[in-house]
Amino acid sequence: MTSPGDAAPVKPPPSFSPGVPRGASKTRYPNQRRDSSPSLDADLAESRVASPTPPLSATTSELPIRSASPRTPSFRSSTPQLARSSLGSPVDGRFEGSEEIRSLIIRSFSPVVGVYASADTDELVRQKGFAGGFWQLIRPFGETIPGKLVIRDSVGASRSWEDYGVRFVDLGNNNQSPPESSGGRSSPLAHAEEVLEKQLGSLDDPLGGSLYPKDFLGLPSTSPLYKLYLRQLLSIASATPHETFRHPVACVIAISSRNTAPLETLRRLYADTNNGDKRVPDWIHPEYLRYYVLVHDEDRDDITDSTKLYDQMKRHFGLHCHLLRLRSNQCVVTDDDSVQVPECEWLSPSERLYGRTEPLVDLDTGGLPHVFESDVMAIKAFVRELVAQSVVPYMENRVAVWNDQVASRRRGISGRFMSMSRRWAGFGSGSRSSLTSGGASGNYDTAHGYYKSDAPEAVLRKMADFAFMLRDWKLSASTYELLRSDYANDKAWKYHAGAYEMSAVSMLLSPSSMGTKVKIDAIDQMLETASYSYLTRCSDAPNTLRCLTLAMELLKSRGGSAVESAAKWAMRVMDQGLAGSIGQGLFSERISACYAARNAVPGMKWGSRRRKAGMWSVFAADLWLRLGKPSLASAALEEAERLYADVLQGDGAFSMPEMQTFIDNLRHAVKVEYLEARGLDTRDETATAAALGTEETSEQLDRRKNRKSLVVNPLDSGLSPTQGMRDNDNAADDDFERA
Amino acid sequence: MSYYFTILSPTDVPLFNIAFGTSKSGGDGIARFRFPDTAQYMNQFIIHSSLDMVEEAQWMNGNMYLKHIDTYPPASAYISAFLTPSGARFLLLHQPPHAAGPNANAGGGGGGGGIGGSSSILGGSFAAGSSAARASASSIAANPTSPQTEEAVRQFMAEVYENYVKTVMNPFYRQGMEIRSAVFRSRVTAAGRKWL
Repeated sequence: MTSPGDAAPVKPPPSFSPGVPRGASKTRYPNQRRDSSPSLDADLAESRVASPTPPLSATTSELPIRSASPRTPSFRSSTPQLARSSLGSPVDGRFEGSEEIRSLIIRSFSPVVGVYASADTDELVRQKGFAGGFWQLIRPFGETIPGKLVIRDSVGASRSWEDYGVRFVDLGNNNQSPPESSGGRSSPLAHAEEVLEKQLGSLDDPLGGSLYPKDFLGLPSTSPLYKLYLRQLLSIASATPHETFRHPVACVIAISSRNTAPLETLRRLYADTNNGDKRVPDWIHPEYLRYYVLVHDEDRDDITDSTKLYDQMKRHFGLHCHLLRLRSNQCVVTDDDSVQVPECEWLSPSERLYGRTEPLVDLDTGGLPHVFESDVMAIKAFVRELVAQSVVPYMENRVAVWNDQVASRRRGISGRFMSMSRRWAGFGSGSRSSLTSGGASGNYDTAHGYYKSDAPEAVLRKMADFAFMLRDWKLSASTYELLRSDYANDKAWKYHAGAYEMSAVSMLLSPSSMGTKVKIDAIDQMLETASYSYLTRCSDAPNTLRCLTLAMELLKSRGGSAVESAAKWAMRVMDQGLAGSIGQGLFSERISACYAARNAVPGMKWGSRRRKAGMWSVFAADLWLRLGKPSLASAALEEAERLYADVLQGDGAFSMPEMQTFIDNLRHAVKVEYLEARGLDTRDETATAAALGTEETSEQLDRRKNRKSLVVNPLDSGLSPTQGMRDNDNAADDDFERA
Repeated sequence: MSYYFTILSPTDVPLFNIAFGTSKSGGDGIARFRFPDTAQYMNQFIIHSSLDMVEEAQWMNGNMYLKHIDTYPPASAYISAFLTPSGARFLLLHQPPHAAGPNANAGGGGGGGGIGGSSSILGGSFAAGSSAARASASSIAANPTSPQTEEAVRQFMAEVYENYVKTVMNPFYRQGMEIRSAVFRSRVTAAGRKWL
C-alpha cells in the first residue's frame, strides 16, 4: 500500500458522466437533485436532514462517546488510501458514511410520543391545509430537535446529542395492531420492496434516470437507495408486546382556543387515554406522561383569553403544559414568509406507498404543504420544550426509579438467588406468590403471548428500552442481559429474541466495549440466538431482517476484524432469502462495502479484503443486471473495478480465464442493456460503434495513467505474457461505461 | 464432497487447475458443485477472493500448510491453502454435498479422474443431481473443518507438493508457465483419490 506505485494516484474507473469527477459530483449532488428529479424523496430528505445538523465529524470533539473511542483517530491516520489524491473524497465519504448510518440507526430508536387532539384543534389545523390534523402538522418537526439535548445517564454523567428526536404518532392508530395481527407476515417487507421498486422506476426510466445515474448511486456504502431501504426496515415496526420502542412514552393532548369548554375537554381527553377508546392494550404500560397543549389561533382569537386559560391549565396540570400559537389561515407558496414543511424521514413502507400523493405538476413544492415561518418557529420551540423539559426528564426519572426498584433487586446477590430459586421452584421465596412449577415465572400469558405491563419482566424490558432510547447503552445492555434468561425460562420466544437482539445492539453501540475478538464472538453468539428465535421459533421475517441488518451495520462501523463478521451476517440475510430481489442486490453491495472497509495492515500490502469486496461488487452487478437495472449494474461494476484496481496488476485483467470471461460478458451485457435503456438501438452497428468509438479515445488516456504507475513501480509490473495479451484484448471493453 | 484444486503463481496466475470429487465412502470421484452449470466461474471467484486471506495468513503462520483459511458461506465452500517456498500457492476449495439434493441423477461415468485434457478446466463434471449425498456422516466429506479433514488435506497437499517440486525441476519447465504435464495431473488425481 505504501509502495510508490500505489501512492501515485490510481485513476478511478471513469464515470458515466464524462468530465464530472466523482468527488465533485458527490458534493454537488444535494442541490442538484432538487431540480433534476423531485420525486427522489430519499435524496431530498437526505439533504434536508443533513442541512440543519453540522457534519458529524465536526461535532465529534464535543461528544465524549466519539472522542473516547480510540478507533476513530487511528482509523483516520493509519489509512494509507486516504492519502490518495484522486480517491480522497470518496474514501472520506465512506468513513462518514459509517457514522451517518450509525446515527441513522440510533435515531431510528427514538421515543414515541402519542398525539391526541380535540376535534376543534384538528379542525383548526385542517384549515391550514393539513388533512391529517394536528398530528400531521407537528410530526415532521419531531424528528430532529433543534439544538443540543443534554441527557443524563444512570451514573449521572451528562452527554449532549445533536441528533435527538421523537416520533409523533397518532394515538388512535398506534394501538390498533393487536399482538396476533399482521396476517401476511412478509407484507411489510413486500411493501418495502415495492417502495424501492417505485423509487428505482422513477429513476431508471430513460429520460429522467440517465441524467445523473452516478449521482444517485454515489458511493455504494452511502447509497441513498440503501439508506432508504434501511430507513424503511427500521420504521416497519409497529407497537408490539415484545419491545416497547413503539409504546408511547408520552402523549400530547391538545385543545385549541376555539374550544368553549377547554378544561372539561382536557379532562375528557385525558379520560379517553386512560380508560376510554384510546386506552392502551394490556401489554403497554398505562402510565405514560401526559402533556397538555393549548393551540392558540393567532388569526381569530384573542391572546389574553388564551393566556388566561393557559395560566389556568398550568395551575391544574403543573409543568407539562404549552401554549402553541399558530395562525389558522392557509399559507400558500407565494406568501412572504412561507416555509415548506419538511418531509417526514421515518415513514413506514405502507405509508410511503399509499399515504402520499405524488406531485403531478408542481415540481417545486414536492407535494408538501407550506406554513408560515412564525408557525414553524412556534412548533419547533414547542417540540424542543416538550422533549427537553418533559419527555427526557420523565424518561430519566423512570429509568432511575425502575433501576432502583426492580432491576437492582435482581442484580444483587439475593436477586440472583431469587431467580435461581424460581427456576427450581418449590423453595422459592415467599415474596412471590404467583410462582408456578417448571421454572416459568407465571407472568407470561402463553395464550396471548405477552407479559402484562406491570410484570417485572415487562417493566425491566421497558426500562432497558428507555435507557436505550436515552442512549445509555451500557445500562440497557446489562438490563437486557438480565432479562434474557427470564424470557427463555418462560419460553417467551419473541421476547427472548428481542432481548438478545437489543443486547447485542447495545453492546455494539456502547462506546466502552470496543471490538476485541472475544466480544465480537459473544456478540455473534447473541445474534445467532436472536435470529434463530425470531426466524425459526416465531417465523418473524421482518424482525430477523432488522436484527441482522442492524448487526451488520454496527459491526461494520466497528471496523477491524468485526467487518468480517458483518459480512457474514449480510451473507446470512441473503442466504435465508429474507431480502427481496432488490434487497439482494443492495445486500451484495453492502457485503462489498463491508469488505472494502477493511484496510490493509499499515505499511504492508496485505490485510485488506479488496478481492472479496470486488467479488461481491461483481455479484451485485450481476444481480442488478438480472433485475433489469443496467445503470445500477454498471455502477456496481465500476465499483468492482475500483476495488480490483489494487489487486490486479496494472492492466485490470484477471489471470483466471473463466473469471475474465464472466466479467467480460457482464460488461458487455451491461453495456448493451444500458444503451437499450437509453433508447439506442444496439443492433444498429454504427450507433454502437460510435458509442464505443468515443470510448476508445478516452481509453487511451486512462491507459497512459496506468502505464505511468507501472513505470514508477517496475517491481509490481512483473507480468506474465498472457496478461500482456489480455491487456490488448480488453482495451476496447475496459471503459464501456462511458457510453 | 467436491474439490477444486488450483496452483497459483506468486503473481496470481493459475498454473494448474483440477476439479474432482471424493472417492471415499462410495464417491465416484466426480465433482458436483452447488453452482449451476452456467456458474462455473464461481469456483475461481471464490478462490481468487480467498487470496486476501492467504496473503494475511502467510505472514501470521510459520507453516507451509496454512490449514483452512477461508469460507464462502453462501455456497459453504471451504478453502485450504498451502504455500511453497517459491511463492506458489496451492489452494483447495472443498464443498460438502448438498444435504437435500434433488432427485439423484448419478453422473454416468464411474471411476475417479474423470477429468480429460487440460483444455477443459472443470472437465464438464458438474452433474445436476447430487448422488454424493450418500456420503456417510462419519467421513471427512461431511465436516470440512474437522481435524480429520485438516489432516487429510495436509497429506494431500504434501503429496502434491512433492510432485510439484519434481515437475518444476523439469528442465523444460520455465517458472511461471502453466503446468501441462499429464503425469503431474494423474499424480494429483491419484493423491486426491487417496486422501480426499
